[in-house]
Amino acid sequence: MRDDIVRGTGLVLAIAYASVIGWTYVRQPQTVAQITGGLAASVGAYQIDSRAFDDGVAFFKRDRFVEARAAWTRADAAEQDARTQFYIAYSYYRQGWGRVYSDDALFTEGLARIDKAIALAPGGRLVVEDAQLQMHSADELRAELQAGLTRDASDFNPLRVFRERK
Amino acid sequence: MTAVREAIVLPLLLLTVVLLGGLEPGAVNPWTAASPFSLLLAMLLLAALVRSGAVAPDRLMRSSRSILANANGCVVLVALFAACAQLLHMLIPRSGLPALLIGIVLFLLLVNTLAADPDRPRMLRSLGVIIGSAFVLKFVILAALADAGGGRTRRVLVALFDVATLGWVTQAPLHPAAGYIAFFAALLFLIAVAALPRRSSDSTAMVSSRSAGL
Repeated sequence: MRDDIVRGTGLVLAIAYASVIGWTYVRQPQTVAQITGGLAASVGAYQIDSRAFDDGVAFFKRDRFVEARAAWTRADAAEQDARTQFYIAYSYYRQGWGRVYSDDALFTEGLARIDKAIALAPGGRLVVEDAQLQMHSADELRAELQAGLTRDASDFNPLRVFRERK
Repeated sequence: MTAVREAIVLPLLLLTVVLLGGLEPGAVNPWTAASPFSLLLAMLLLAALVRSGAVAPDRLMRSSRSILANANGCVVLVALFAACAQLLHMLIPRSGLPALLIGIVLFLLLVNTLAADPDRPRMLRSLGVIIGSAFVLKFVILAALADAGGGRTRRVLVALFDVATLGWVTQAPLHPAAGYIAFFAALLFLIAVAALPRRSSDSTAMVSSRSAGL
């Protein structure tokens, strides 16, 4: 009887451990926070630090993007919250946007973040209701970032200087 | 073999090797699965372990055991194969001539071990030497050649060596923790292999008599 309990426990432990290993190889976490946060998110127990998130939004409103990202990184240390990742991507967009040209490095970072946000959102659909944003869906933001990284004839259109940052 | 060892200790050790074997700290994607070549090497290593009696599959899975016991045995065998693959993947350099050479050397060593048909103690000693040598080559010698630090003379010598070998030998620098993780994983693997259920003397005698009959 005792042997059966030990064997049953061992089997459950081994399957759970193997599942964690499989998850690790698929999701590629890079920090301990990402591992613990990812595991918590997989059982629906992950929560961001809402105070740090609000701090990030306050910085974002004042166009202090570096500070905003620092606060959001603190809020979502495991990078498991789609909305926070959306805001981080948006901050890269606004910081990298230029009337004449956009900053490719920042836009590339933004694209990576918005892809992460889309991957995290249920069904890949993410809409953020925030009056201060002009793009509310992840798809819009992704298209805008992608367009900023694309080189074509429209880049030489002098009327580009009249466009507005979203 | 006790139920604790078979159901808990061995899977835990072997799965930890699987976890650590694919870890490349500092890389963009830090967890890499074993390559097809590593899977081939793992098959050879597993075959050598079985033939030498270092592991007796019939003591892990057979019809007279309960379903639960067979499930534990199956977990051990699968974890052993995965650990072999991940460990060998970890020990093979990632690029250039060393990757090719060490891959070929490991392949030949394992084929030779299979052909020599050693007994369990010799197999374990041989395994220790194979793993130890590969560890020293990748994490001591090649890591030292790839190390960007050191004095000016050392950097000049390394640069000259790199030029002389057309860049085929030098590897990307390893994270400082990589060697420690690899050493720990290799140690765990050797402990796990030593703790596997070995072929009993009765089975050995039976196999010997069969061989004599042939």
